[in-house]
Amino acid sequence: MSNKLHDQGDHFILTPKAEPWLERLVFNNRLIILIAFLAITVFMAFSAAKIKPDSSFERLIPLEHPYIQNMLENRDDLENLGNSIRIAVAVEEGDIFTDSYMETLKQITDEVFYLRGVDRSGVRSVWTPNVRWVEVTEEGFQGGTVIPDGYNGSQESLDKLRQNILRSGEVGRLVADNFRSVIIYAPLLEVDPDTGQSLNYEQFSRDLETNIREKFQAQNPNIHIYAIGFAKKLGDLIEGMRSVVLFFLVAIVLTIVLLYWYSRCWSGTLTPVLASIVAVIWQVGILRLLGYGIDPYSILVPFLVFAIGISHGVQIVNAMSIESARGFDATTSARLAFRALYIPGMLALVSDAMGFLTLLFIKIDVIKDLAVTASIGVAVIIITNLVLHPIILSYVGITKSGIKHQKNRGEERDRKWLRMSYFAHPSVARVSLLIALVGAGLGIYYKQGLKIGDLDKGAAELRPDSRYNRDNDFIINNYSTSSDVMVVMVKTDREKCSSYPVMKGMDDLQWVLENTPGVESTASLATVSKIVTKALNEGNFKWYELSRNQQIINSSIQRAPSGLVNSDCSMTPLLAFLEDHKAETLQRVVDTIEAFSRENANDDYQLLLAAGNAGVDAATNQVISKAKDLMLIFVYSVVSVLCFVTFRSIRAVLCIVVPLGLTSILCEALMTQMGIGIKVETLPVIALGVGIGVDYGIYIYTKFEYYILEGKSLQDAYFETLRSTGKAVMFTGITLAIGVCTWIFSPIKLQANMGLLLFFMFLWNMVGALWLLPALARFLLNPEKMVAKAKAAEGGV
Amino acid sequence: MKLTTVLRKMTFACALCASLNSPWSLAGDVLSTPAMKTELASSTLLVDVVKAGERLVAVGQRGHIIYSDDQGGSWTQANSPVSTLLTSLYFVDAKQGWAVGHGAVVLHTEDGGVNWSKQFDGVAANEMVIAQAQKRVANLKEQLETAPEEEASDLEYQLEDASFALEDAMADAEVGPGKPLLDVWFKNAQEGFVVGAYGFFFHTEDGGASWTNWAPRLENTERFHLNAIAQITGGAMFIVGEAGYVFRSTDFGETWETLESPYDGSLFGVSGNGNVNEVFVFGLRGHLFYSQDSGSTWDRVGVDVEESLMSAAVGEGGRIAVVGNSGVMLLSQNFGEDFKVHPQANRLGLLAATFLSPDQLLLVGEGGVNVLKSISKLN
Repeated sequence: MSNKLHDQGDHFILTPKAEPWLERLVFNNRLIILIAFLAITVFMAFSAAKIKPDSSFERLIPLEHPYIQNMLENRDDLENLGNSIRIAVAVEEGDIFTDSYMETLKQITDEVFYLRGVDRSGVRSVWTPNVRWVEVTEEGFQGGTVIPDGYNGSQESLDKLRQNILRSGEVGRLVADNFRSVIIYAPLLEVDPDTGQSLNYEQFSRDLETNIREKFQAQNPNIHIYAIGFAKKLGDLIEGMRSVVLFFLVAIVLTIVLLYWYSRCWSGTLTPVLASIVAVIWQVGILRLLGYGIDPYSILVPFLVFAIGISHGVQIVNAMSIESARGFDATTSARLAFRALYIPGMLALVSDAMGFLTLLFIKIDVIKDLAVTASIGVAVIIITNLVLHPIILSYVGITKSGIKHQKNRGEERDRKWLRMSYFAHPSVARVSLLIALVGAGLGIYYKQGLKIGDLDKGAAELRPDSRYNRDNDFIINNYSTSSDVMVVMVKTDREKCSSYPVMKGMDDLQWVLENTPGVESTASLATVSKIVTKALNEGNFKWYELSRNQQIINSSIQRAPSGLVNSDCSMTPLLAFLEDHKAETLQRVVDTIEAFSRENANDDYQLLLAAGNAGVDAATNQVISKAKDLMLIFVYSVVSVLCFVTFRSIRAVLCIVVPLGLTSILCEALMTQMGIGIKVETLPVIALGVGIGVDYGIYIYTKFEYYILEGKSLQDAYFETLRSTGKAVMFTGITLAIGVCTWIFSPIKLQANMGLLLFFMFLWNMVGALWLLPALARFLLNPEKMVAKAKAAEGGV
Repeated sequence: MKLTTVLRKMTFACALCASLNSPWSLAGDVLSTPAMKTELASSTLLVDVVKAGERLVAVGQRGHIIYSDDQGGSWTQANSPVSTLLTSLYFVDAKQGWAVGHGAVVLHTEDGGVNWSKQFDGVAANEMVIAQAQKRVANLKEQLETAPEEEASDLEYQLEDASFALEDAMADAEVGPGKPLLDVWFKNAQEGFVVGAYGFFFHTEDGGASWTNWAPRLENTERFHLNAIAQITGGAMFIVGEAGYVFRSTDFGETWETLESPYDGSLFGVSGNGNVNEVFVFGLRGHLFYSQDSGSTWDRVGVDVEESLMSAAVGEGGRIAVVGNSGVMLLSQNFGEDFKVHPQANRLGLLAATFLSPDQLLLVGEGGVNVLKSISKLN
């Protein structure tokens, strides 16, 4: 299809027959199109400027997964378990039993109370009345608030406070074992009951910083404040997202410098950048119009759009300079460049888009959005970089210095290209294939340990030494609490959630879980019942057992924390506190629960997985591991089919796709070795990598085939390919890799991971296309047959 | 692998119990489900520990029974037929031992604590108590018919009591085998006693094969919990319980008298100190009392603790350890004349102790087992 066009030769250039209708449409209406582009770009820029950060909790989770559906169905009854914030107020010197510390703690508690988004009724601190101590005496129970009545900051009342804290059982929970810090616990409301607005995480996180951390650390230099919770983590992520704008600017500057060094031509440097920036503006503008926001995941897309835009822009500039060097004027050169590139360009971009769309297989909204937004971006590039860019170039042309550089470089680099053309030489090709085979073998060997999900403790999205993770470490180390909670929802008939069979079932499951590696401890209504039954029997551990007497059970759970029973006692949560949220830990825990549920099926209760952050992570991991292979199969199928439709040859498909496969294998091996798991943020990169990588192969193969059909030998054809498209491919790969490199310095670990993987894929796909493609061609392609076939096809027309 | 085996066993047990057609044989009922094998048995709640010859045996939550042949260094989980909380155990020699617990279970071993079988449980206990109450009501009714007038009112009074007792027993049976036994003591391989909640008190003369309700032999009409039973040097036997109750028998448990109590709060333990007729009782909020005359008169032993005292261990040469809630440990070197307080730093409740050597103490409690070496160096 494309080869026929190439065959037409230069002298047909201006005959109407040789001009595809698209070319005529574009170049006969240059001015109108240019004005239209300008108008749309201005409109889109206004739209894009209004884009907002967006990161609702629900978009990050696989809504269709049964675990999540169970969680959402019981959401109202689980409120206090999910979203909360823990603020630890630590003393630098001495312990917490000083007047000034307690005064500050009181003020902080009050301030937390008034933070927008906090569920006030659930706030717990040494200073809130819901934190009490209880003691058994000869007469019965005695108790009170932990802060003694008539507290006045005197040594006496501080001593009393210490005694009350010891009796309250809050040591290790609200008060650190070493008495040097105290936690303020605040559940958050996802939706504000007064305004109906959903919680603004960015705002909340910022309020927490200014109204709590900064204010009180300044006010009392002897304290240090630590804060953890989903809201804080997300707030930090959004904060860190802003630095990406800087990386974007750095990448643009780097690209400009490299482009100029490459082309020595200002128009050749600025026009691709301009066209790509227009693409980004359009893409962001369209997103805003469609109601999307930008989140820490989709921030990747504008960058990707820019990168892909540059990649195609360089091809056009390259083709322009070659045609200009041959003496054509700007308009003709632009037309020729357009004609030569619009088919491979479209093919490459459609492959990109299809590759991105395979992300729709992953039923997590942020990833699905990523698929849609990236596809929109690629569609925009087809218009901006394949239409707008040649039109601009047809006006400005390639500067004289650029043409001169093109000519000079052509000669001076010949020797280098000549050496590289040996990649298509039989003996070198044999060695190359062997190396590729060994590489693939090693890759397969090393990627064996590839894991799904988070591999590290703490918030894996952020860096291990980020403040959030340091705060998390502090709280984990000083309190017997875990930030990874798996919640099983135990459903019963109404008013049956505390019946003996249900309590017994929960108690059994808890014990099975506590015997599962990775589970630190568990809690449920059954735990409360045992503890209180013991307490009601004068604190005698010989009574630490569930009673079969319903009246005893009822009195034992009378004061159970509100989150543990819903209003009609038909659901009660069972909590498992985990050592970490590594994928294997989560899977082991849900496997245990599911096995228990299967083996103990009964009419009294039903065990529903899963809520809590660990439940959400487990569901996410399952979705990702299920979608991963499907997605890769699909993306490779799509790319293969598109290549086949274009080149009508399975051998061509193999030449283009096999190097990509090697990159995918090596990328997974790299992930394994770097301790990066397959997660919400890395899985898209794998798909995107294939989509972008295929561009190189398509450009190289198109030219390669063209020269083969001209009757050149394989090595000569490849030499010509390198001289024309090859250098653009090489340049693009290096430029994009260097640009994306900046991400590795992002304060957000997930972006650093994305950056690292993209860096590898940009670079290695380029190497694969330039080095492995010709080696494969040597063994797969037969130039004589190809020429004969092409002739036959022509003759048949 | 291990877990699925356990789960399979649980479903199997459930299939079994459904066929028994008793309301208490629920899926995996704690009284018919063998304790799950777990490595956590020695590090989670244990309630009692004793010596069986050279071996140490301990019992605790979820039917756990563990033993150690190396002075507490390593522990092996025994085969226990139940998965309910066990509260106490007693060995008469290196082989023969009994353990009791919730659901009024009595377990027996003949091989020094490796394998255990169930002898008795709350279902049997309830049946027995009902049968006995019915018999007594019938007896009283019979007596009342033939009784002279002056005895009649007294008999009516007794009949009323007996009827109430029967009603209580029926109500208990309705609730199921819920009430725990709290302590066990055997005189020899044949004769022994168990005491428990709500006045449970049973006696056996055939090594636990059959039991008789012994509760009517105590003056405990309000059915207070009986927390502990022990024999002291000199032969006197004691039972202590809720509301400061202290009972004494000087004829090996045949008859019991109620002693005047030094305290009206609960007493959790009773122990001799190795000297003839000398005895300690202890309980709520650091209350510890000492008697030199088999409990006829008591003196309070002053110890500076607020926590409840649960159990005592007697070592050689007047060494006594008393342990209790929140990691409280009291040590005496002089038969209990005075005690020093040695709180354990983790503040976890301690339930029982035994001397491994004059200078080594094994503690069990909320956090499992803990060996204290060179206790003489504690300060």
